[in-house]
Amino acid sequence: MIEVDGLRKRFGEADVLRGVTLSVDRGEVAAIIGPSGSGKSTFLRCLNGLERFDAGQVEIDGLVLRGRSEVAASDWGRLHREVCLRVGMVFQGFNLFPHRTAIENVMEGPIYVLGLHRDAADHRARRLLDRVGMSDRLHSMPSELSGGQQQRVAIARALAMEPRAILFDEPTSALDPRMTAEVLAVMSDLASEGMTMIAVTHAMHFARRVAHKVHVFGEGRVIESGPPDRIFDDPREEATRILLSSVEAA
Amino acid sequence: MALSVMSAPTIVRAEDSLDRIRRTGRLVYGSDMEGGAPYAYPDPSATDGVAGFEVELMRRLTSEIGVRAELSQGQWDELLEILKIGRVDAVINGYEWSERRAREYLATRPYYVYQLQLMVQRGSRIRRWSDLNEPRPGGGPWRIGVLASSAGDHFAAEQGGNHIQVVRFDGATDAMLAVQNGQYDATLQDMPAARFYAGRYPGLELVGPPEGRGYYVIFTRESERSLRDVLDRGIGKLIASGELRQLYDRFGIWNEAQEELSGFDGPLPIASGKSGRRGLGLLTEYAGPLLQAAFVTVVLSVGSMPIAMAIGLMVAIGRLYGPRLLNWLLTGYVEILRGTPLMLQLFVLFYLLKLSPWVAGIAGLAINYSAYEAEIYRAGLQAIPAGQMEAALALGMSKRLALRRVILPQAVRIVIPPVTNDFIALFKDTSVCSVITLVELTKQYKILALSTGGTIEFALAAAVLYLMMSVPLSWFSRWSEARLANASVKGGSPE
Repeated sequence: MIEVDGLRKRFGEADVLRGVTLSVDRGEVAAIIGPSGSGKSTFLRCLNGLERFDAGQVEIDGLVLRGRSEVAASDWGRLHREVCLRVGMVFQGFNLFPHRTAIENVMEGPIYVLGLHRDAADHRARRLLDRVGMSDRLHSMPSELSGGQQQRVAIARALAMEPRAILFDEPTSALDPRMTAEVLAVMSDLASEGMTMIAVTHAMHFARRVAHKVHVFGEGRVIESGPPDRIFDDPREEATRILLSSVEAA
Repeated sequence: MALSVMSAPTIVRAEDSLDRIRRTGRLVYGSDMEGGAPYAYPDPSATDGVAGFEVELMRRLTSEIGVRAELSQGQWDELLEILKIGRVDAVINGYEWSERRAREYLATRPYYVYQLQLMVQRGSRIRRWSDLNEPRPGGGPWRIGVLASSAGDHFAAEQGGNHIQVVRFDGATDAMLAVQNGQYDATLQDMPAARFYAGRYPGLELVGPPEGRGYYVIFTRESERSLRDVLDRGIGKLIASGELRQLYDRFGIWNEAQEELSGFDGPLPIASGKSGRRGLGLLTEYAGPLLQAAFVTVVLSVGSMPIAMAIGLMVAIGRLYGPRLLNWLLTGYVEILRGTPLMLQLFVLFYLLKLSPWVAGIAGLAINYSAYEAEIYRAGLQAIPAGQMEAALALGMSKRLALRRVILPQAVRIVIPPVTNDFIALFKDTSVCSVITLVELTKQYKILALSTGGTIEFALAAAVLYLMMSVPLSWFSRWSEARLANASVKGGSPE
């Protein structure tokens, strides 16, 4: 469902992505691991159009995004919105709207982007907040919620747009272990319900237990891809071994 | 000098101004050189860089007592206040003698008999003052420009009924320029100024016989009798010797009316009688004009600030999110408007674009403050973390929708305090609009203080009125801040 071919991205002098090719099937959970600075987050941000890339191609359920030189700036805004309607995004820093309550955060997109009636959006938001275990905090402001609670609201906010896939950008990196567990539990539920997901993560046990496929990033490339057992138990690349041993040591 | 010090009386007494002037060798007099010809005006080729018949008169009067005359520049309608607080020793600047002034200050004998001259746009149907009794073509009252608080102002206000609207300018030449522009019907000026400037404003002509009549005198503080007497005697000598006439001839301001000068033998007498009201009585008498001026101040600020905020918001958004070319243009807009004085901007709108005073005033304030608001909004928008815009875009919002729903509502709370602050500043800046004839609170205070002598009463009243208007603004600001702060913790009772 998501096909990425030869994705390249530079920031000035820095070659952040040097030709990334990978694919994710419908209903698949893909985990992306790799050391900091290996281009994982930039890769995710290219997938939903937050960053424009220089070369290569991204295809999401039939919608094709091409490199900067091939897409006019005037078309980019429309393409970007179409991509965002297909894939949701959950950020490391939650990025909830601080001036809106939990339920308002979830209703915002359905009302103002999808044009849903307020009652329908309210209904949908309550259902999703219940699903992430937040039905008792509907009217709390983000500042009154813990990090884990905020991230669960953020997941509900992404789900409210009924995306075909959700991208998670280090969703638990800002959380302590207990809150990490509650967020990972929600993500595991989603996976078991067949949601297509790509998660950049440092939570190796999650990658091992939930992901169908693990992609190891290094220096702007995919150095190794495979089922989690194979990657974790029998890494073929030296870089993967170094990465895994550093995580275990930590 | 040395002799006069030697012969000073041995009785111990406080040094008065004349003693000090003799000791320091300089007499400082107040005058306004703005549009000040032929009275006193800058002239690089003249001694001390100033010229004018009053400047020369002062030189002659002071050389009599062996000291140097020094001009101190001040806003015309503030000169007597400047004298009162002791910043200058005397005021000479076309100030006419009046009962009221003579009670508060000491006046010399007249040094000039002034008359008022009507100036109109060349070819105007107005040929004399009495023509203004005819209805104005096109309806409405005749609009007559005057120097605020001048003899022309008093004359026009007294003579004109409903058919004359007196428009008060801060400078005599501003009124001439506005009449030449066709913005007003005529201006009533003191004869010397009218004659001198007729050549500089070729679009104007002098019409009709001179109107009114009064006397220019030199004022000193009430306690400075010896100084006044010295100046008074000096004027008498210059009149008797014919030197004064020579001087006036040189400036082209002698006419037969001046023959009257030699008929005086000292200061004009003050009729006995009531010395005018003071204190609260004075304020109640003039409550109407004061409140009306306060209303002008309110309309100017309430009319201009919302426009300034709207323009400022658009400029800030354009600078942050617009294409590069727009960003450059808007940066230029902000820099030019912040970098030039509000007064100049008002001049351009009023004298060059010839907008009406109200339109020019509100537009000028709005445009000037829009530059400041733009910078405040820009800072407010930039204070919102980038993740907010990204989260909104990731929901499929367009940039425009993200701004409206996510970024602006957060930025607004940040900018409320500085915007209120600017509103209060704008509120006080409305006083600059007096340069385009709008009589707002500060101008009205000056006019009333000058015409009644109730400086302290009116200053306090104006201050109280300003506070009554600006304090509620601060309350509103605090209230809206609190309201928004509450909104961000509403609901969700702690468990």
